Amino acid sequence: MKALKQISILFLILATSIVSAQVKFEAKVSKKKLGINERLRIDFEMNKDGDNFVPPNFKGFDVVGGPNTSVSNSWANGKRSYSKTYSYFLSPQKRGKFTIKQATIEIDGETYKTFPISINVTAAVDKPNANPDAADIASDNIHLVAEVSKGNPYLNEAITVVYKLYVSPETGVSNWREKDNPRFNDFWSQNIEIKGLNIQKGLYKGEDYRYVILRKTVLYPQKTGKLKLEPLVLDITVEVPTNRYDIFGRPLMTKVPKIVTAGSRTIDVKPLPVQNKPSDFKGAVGDFSLKVSTTKSQLNATESLQAKIQVSGRGNLKLFEIPKLTVPSSLEVYEPEHKENVRTNLNGMQGSISDTYTIVPQYKGKYPVPTISFSYFDLKTESYKRITSDEIIIDVLQGPTAVNNSDNTTASSAKQAVNPNTNTFAFIKTASNWTSISTKPFFKSTGFWSLLLLPFLTIPLAIVIRKKKDERDADIQGNRIRKADRLAKKYLGAAKKALGKKEAFYLALEKALHNYLKAKLNIETSDFNKEKIETILKDRQVDHDVVLDFISILENCELARYTPITQVTMQNDYDKAAKTISLIDKQLR
Amino acid sequence: MKTFTILFLCCFSVLGFSQNNQLFEEANALYNDSKYAEAIDKYESILNGSKHSTELYFNLGNANYKLNNIAPSIYYFEKALQLNPNDKDTLNNLAFAQNMTIDAIDKVPEVGFSRILKNVVNTFNSDTWAKISIAGVFVFVLLFLMYHFSYTSSKKRIAFVISVFSLIVACFSIAMAFQKEGLNKKDNPAIVFAQESRVKADPNQTSEEVFRLHEGTKIQVLEAYEDWNKIQLSDNSIGWIPSKDIKVLKSF
Repeated sequence: MKALKQISILFLILATSIVSAQVKFEAKVSKKKLGINERLRIDFEMNKDGDNFVPPNFKGFDVVGGPNTSVSNSWANGKRSYSKTYSYFLSPQKRGKFTIKQATIEIDGETYKTFPISINVTAAVDKPNANPDAADIASDNIHLVAEVSKGNPYLNEAITVVYKLYVSPETGVSNWREKDNPRFNDFWSQNIEIKGLNIQKGLYKGEDYRYVILRKTVLYPQKTGKLKLEPLVLDITVEVPTNRYDIFGRPLMTKVPKIVTAGSRTIDVKPLPVQNKPSDFKGAVGDFSLKVSTTKSQLNATESLQAKIQVSGRGNLKLFEIPKLTVPSSLEVYEPEHKENVRTNLNGMQGSISDTYTIVPQYKGKYPVPTISFSYFDLKTESYKRITSDEIIIDVLQGPTAVNNSDNTTASSAKQAVNPNTNTFAFIKTASNWTSISTKPFFKSTGFWSLLLLPFLTIPLAIVIRKKKDERDADIQGNRIRKADRLAKKYLGAAKKALGKKEAFYLALEKALHNYLKAKLNIETSDFNKEKIETILKDRQVDHDVVLDFISILENCELARYTPITQVTMQNDYDKAAKTISLIDKQLR
Repeated sequence: MKTFTILFLCCFSVLGFSQNNQLFEEANALYNDSKYAEAIDKYESILNGSKHSTELYFNLGNANYKLNNIAPSIYYFEKALQLNPNDKDTLNNLAFAQNMTIDAIDKVPEVGFSRILKNVVNTFNSDTWAKISIAGVFVFVLLFLMYHFSYTSSKKRIAFVISVFSLIVACFSIAMAFQKEGLNKKDNPAIVFAQESRVKADPNQTSEEVFRLHEGTKIQVLEAYEDWNKIQLSDNSIGWIPSKDIKVLKSF
């Protein structure tokens, strides 16, 4: 049932709007807000005469006067305008919000209704039913508003503040100036120039207003926490209509000076997340791209080239540092030239900033410019992003060479000693001597220690040997004996071997004795008889006994071939021979 | 049987040598055709066969330099210098490679007596010092005996003086050998391989950063703790670096 009613109302409204050109039935109140001790006038106005006017039930109000009916009929330029008004004077019964319901009327057989009107009844006022003075009207109709694009931005996120002056259609502003320019402490701010004031239409708290944008500012918060925006204060002259009219029926305006302020606003700035914060983050917030370029990649020494690091995009471009260029220490680098090409609009800063380094290589060779990384906080994804540039190689084709002339054991020393003789990168070596990777050090090995210490042992050894030798040289008697032994060994060796075998022994013994004489006395074997031996030995001053002994041994040798001889005799003969030989040797001159 | 096996072993080792030479020549050919990466693979396969040489390290350094691998090229040049400290070509190319490095570190100069001592100690390696001392001992023993046994006083005098002199030489070179060995033990150089490495005050990630090093810088490793190495630069500044960021030059 309710739905049906609403639909019918809708139809009715549509129908009225269609025929509105002809028929108009409206309810107008003198004020929508009044004190409890004030009175309210409500007019039901129509532009065509109707029947069966039914006033609404004025619930919450007492009707203190009315209905008064007034009809006006006028002709202008051959066109008739008619209006009929039913007026009521109402007194509120209590404070609160009341709605004056619809009034209905029948015009040309159609039923028309007014819109319900809500009335706010407040506490008693000092000057009931007085005309509001111009200042009050001005303050009711002029509003300065600061619109902030975002109440809780991140640190270094761009926000905008737009100051709008709302002016209601009834009043006007004839002059304005800024009394106090707001300072934005803890913000980086930039004003956006506004070319000419453009009057636009808009709604302010549901009512039609005209407004003017006075000022636009882009702010980058530089501190976290609750930050206060200082208000903008304007000194304006307001034109307020009075109740008096000029002779043409236009209301006379009075000019009222007024100070309006936009209420101070608080902005809650969020810190950037600490988690995953890259180490090379230097406060860039926005959306950026990084470009590293050099003007040349090949050049000769002492020529110059420019290396450019450019960060472009959208964000707080003027508020962070460009990453520094690191190059090999052997390149000469000058202080960079900083360039900014940044436009600021309501969305924040846009454009690019760049550092241009001038580099002069001094020596031939290849110089890599390492990758440069740049981190920023991306507001769209609310995460940190890192861009890395490619590595660039600067190839210096000609020029002097840097030669490191340090010895390798005591770390590297002065890098840039110039050696003009070898100014090329040497070619690989084509032949190689292979050694085993795992070598054993000779020092401290057992071989080393023994070679080092054993020679010292030879000193006492040599001395002892020498001493022994000296002792033996000094011992004459012993020497003799040793000499005889040696003689006997030399000549009687064969005989000694044959000791025990009679035939062989005596043959060897005889031969040994003959040999001895031959060697000592130079006697030929042919003239070898006992007499001759005897005389020769005697000539050589050998003792008679010894000679006899010698002869007897020789005789024994001959004899033994035919007679049985015992082992003992053989031994005796051998000893005797040895003794005799040594005696002869001693006495021989 | 024994002689046979020795002969066999000799043949085998010769075979190994010839195989290395073949690989070496192949790698050299690849290098000359500018196929540096393949050349490096070949060179390294020789290294895996537990044989090395100055020339091999030198060529590896060259190939890495051509590929702009800063740290490996410096590493291999330094290796080559370890085997042959005065090779002119290696010193020359090392200077080229060091041009690519970023860090410029001042060197604290050694002055006075310690510098002279170091120079003297560094003239030979410890094995050579040891051999000199042995030669000195032999000469001393021979001459001392000569002195002891000779009869003429002039001969005695000369022998005595020379023998004492050679004994002094022997003692001096033993001292030098010990000194050199001590220096060698202390000398533990390494090359920074990471492109950028943060050197910390203490061996953990959270501690304060002391300085930063870049690829190719030569440092001295003083001690190791867990995954960290205490290092010293040539300007005597000290810090801890993650072990994975560096490569020690001494592999033994």
